Amino acid sequence: MNGAQHILEAFHRHNISTVFGYPGGCIMPLYDALVDDVGVEHVLCRHEQGCALAADGYARASGKLGVCIATSGPGATNLVTGVANAHRDSIPMLVITGQVPSGLIGTDAFQETDVLGMTLGIVKHSYLIDDADTLPAIMEEAMELAQSGRPGPVWIDIPKDLLLAEVADAPFPASEPRESSCPDLNQALAMLRAARKPLLYSGGGISLATAEDSFRIFAESSALPAVVTLKGIGNPGKHNPHNLGMLGMHGSRAANKAVDECDLLLVIGARLDDRATGKLEGFAPNAKMIHIDADAAEINKLRPADVAIRGDLNDILATLAGALADRPLAIGDWQKQCRNWHTTGGFQAADNEEPLAPITGPAFIRQLSRIAPDDTVIACDVGQHQMWVAQHYEFDHPRHHLTSGGLGTMGFGLPAAIGAQFADRNSTVINVTGDGSFMMNAQELATIRRYNLPVKLIVMDNQCLGMVRQQQELFYNNRESQINLDDNPDFVALARAFDIPALHIERTDQIRRGIETILAFKGPMLLHVAISREENVWPIVKPGASNRDMIDETRRASTANKEHVA
Amino acid sequence: MTPQTDSPIPSYTLNCRMSREAAALERLCQVVRIRGFRIATMAVESAGDHLDIALTLEGTRPITMLQSQLEKLHTVSEVVPDQGSGVQVQTA
Repeated sequence: MNGAQHILEAFHRHNISTVFGYPGGCIMPLYDALVDDVGVEHVLCRHEQGCALAADGYARASGKLGVCIATSGPGATNLVTGVANAHRDSIPMLVITGQVPSGLIGTDAFQETDVLGMTLGIVKHSYLIDDADTLPAIMEEAMELAQSGRPGPVWIDIPKDLLLAEVADAPFPASEPRESSCPDLNQALAMLRAARKPLLYSGGGISLATAEDSFRIFAESSALPAVVTLKGIGNPGKHNPHNLGMLGMHGSRAANKAVDECDLLLVIGARLDDRATGKLEGFAPNAKMIHIDADAAEINKLRPADVAIRGDLNDILATLAGALADRPLAIGDWQKQCRNWHTTGGFQAADNEEPLAPITGPAFIRQLSRIAPDDTVIACDVGQHQMWVAQHYEFDHPRHHLTSGGLGTMGFGLPAAIGAQFADRNSTVINVTGDGSFMMNAQELATIRRYNLPVKLIVMDNQCLGMVRQQQELFYNNRESQINLDDNPDFVALARAFDIPALHIERTDQIRRGIETILAFKGPMLLHVAISREENVWPIVKPGASNRDMIDETRRASTANKEHVA
Repeated sequence: MTPQTDSPIPSYTLNCRMSREAAALERLCQVVRIRGFRIATMAVESAGDHLDIALTLEGTRPITMLQSQLEKLHTVSEVVPDQGSGVQVQTA
C-alpha cells in the first residue's frame, strides 16, 4: 500500500465519507488512488477556496471532521483563506496537500511553495512528511488533534514521491478513553447565588464542545437572562423566554443594556471578541466574571476572570444545572427587568404594510424565518445581510446558523452551504448572501449543478458593498470609496447560465411568494432580492467604542449625532 | 515574574521544551511575534528528540498570555517562566 492509499485507508477507518478537493500535479497519486475507491465521495469544487470553505461548512453543520485536498503551490495558496476561516472559528478540519518531490523541495521547483512556513499562523498544527513510514501515524494524530480540545485545522503537506512510496504496515495504538472529572464549581455556584443580576453569555464554544443539549438544559433550569455572540446564536433555543439575543457591535439594545447593568457575567464557550465586547474598558463595568472554556489560553486573555474554569463543558453544565435545579436562583426582578428591555429594545423590524414598497433587509429575513422549516440551515456570507440574519432570523440550534465569525470571509456562504448540504442531503439549506459576497465564489454554482444539490440561494442585492458604505457614511463623513457595484451582472441570468432556475423580486408583496417558490422547488434555485442601496444595519457601535454608545436610526438623523460619529 | 525595572519595556525569560520537527523554531517564533513580544535573545540546545529553548523576551503584554499560547502548541511540552502568576485556573 502506498502513501496515497494509506490516506484513503485512514479515511475509511475514521468513517470519513465526504471530502472536498481539486486535483493537480503533486497530489495526483492521491487522485489516482481515488479512482479505485468507492468508499469516499470526492466533491470536486471549482476553486480550492471553495473546497476549504465547503469542508468548513460540512464540519459546522455536521459536527464531523471536514476534509479538503489540493495540490502544491497555487492549490495550497488558494486554500489559505478557507483554512484561516476554519482556524479563527475553531472548526475541525484536515487539510491535505501534495508537495513537490522531496528532492526538489527548496529548489524553487514548479508549483513549489513553502506551505508549512506559509500556514503556521492559521493552523492548529501542521506536518511536512519526510518519511513515508510516518504517514499512517501522522494521519491518526492529525485527525485526533483537529477534533480534540479546542478544534481547528490540521494541515499535512506530502511530497509527491512519498505519496507513491510503499508504506510499512504498523499497528495503530488504541485511542485512550477520555478521562473526565468535573472541576470544583462551588465558588462559581456561590457567586451565582450571591448575584442579584447575573447574566449568561455564551458563544460558539457550546457547539464546538457538542454541548448544545447540556447548555439548553442549563439555560432552562437556571432561567438566567441570556445573551449570545454571533457564533452562539441558537444556543438558548428560539423559545427561551430569557434570551435577549446577540450582543455587541450590531447586537440588540436589550442585550447590551443587560451586559452593562449585570453584576455577574457567566461566560461559557466565548472568547470576549472585540466585536462582542466593544471597548473593553466599558464592557460589563459592574460585573464580576466567571469564565468557563475548554481552552485555557482564552481565560484571562482579555479580561481577568474572578473565577476561571477549564474543562469539559458537558460535565460542567450538567453539574451546574443539577445544582440550580435543586435550589433555583431568586432573580425574579432581574428577569422581569430584562424581559422589559427585550420588549422595548430587542431587534425590531416592522413588516411593511405597503405591498408596493421596496423590500427591506430585516423585513425579508423576518419573513424567511417565519416561512422556512425550523431545522433549516442558513449559510451566510459577510456584510449587512449577515447581520440582518443574526438579528432577525430565529434559530433553534447553533448548527443551523453557519457564519464566518472570526475571519469575516466574504465568499464563505455559498461553498459552506454546499458543505452543509453534503452533511445532510435531505435538509433545507439556504445561502443568504449579498451581491458583493456572492461574486467572490460564484464559480461554485457549477458545483451545485454538478451534484444537483437542492441548495437555495438568496442574493440580497443593494448594488454596493453595503457594510463598508454604511461605515463610510457614519464614520468617514459619507465619503464613499470603492463600494459601488452597480455594474453587477444579471444574477438571474448568471444562475440560469449554470442551469439553475432563478427569480427576481423587488416589492414587499413579492416576498412571501418568492420564498415559498424557492423552498417548494425540488432542486437548486436562486432568489434575487433587490433592496435599497441606502439601507443600514441598526443599531451599530462605532468600532472601538463602548457598547453603551450604540447608534440607532433615530439618532442617525440628528445633526448632533452626525457630529458625534464623524 | 517580575519585570526588570531598568528597561522601559518589561523583559522576561521563558524556557521552552518542544519536539524536534519541521519548522519547530519558526512555529515558536511566530507565536511570540503575533502575541506581541520581541525576542531579545534565544538559545537553543538539541537533546535527543527535543529542543530546549531559552528565550529572553520583551513586551508590554502579560507574559502569562504568551505562556498559555505557547503551551497550546502541539509540539511544546513545557513552558517555564521564572515564576508563575495570574488567576488560579481550576482544571478538570
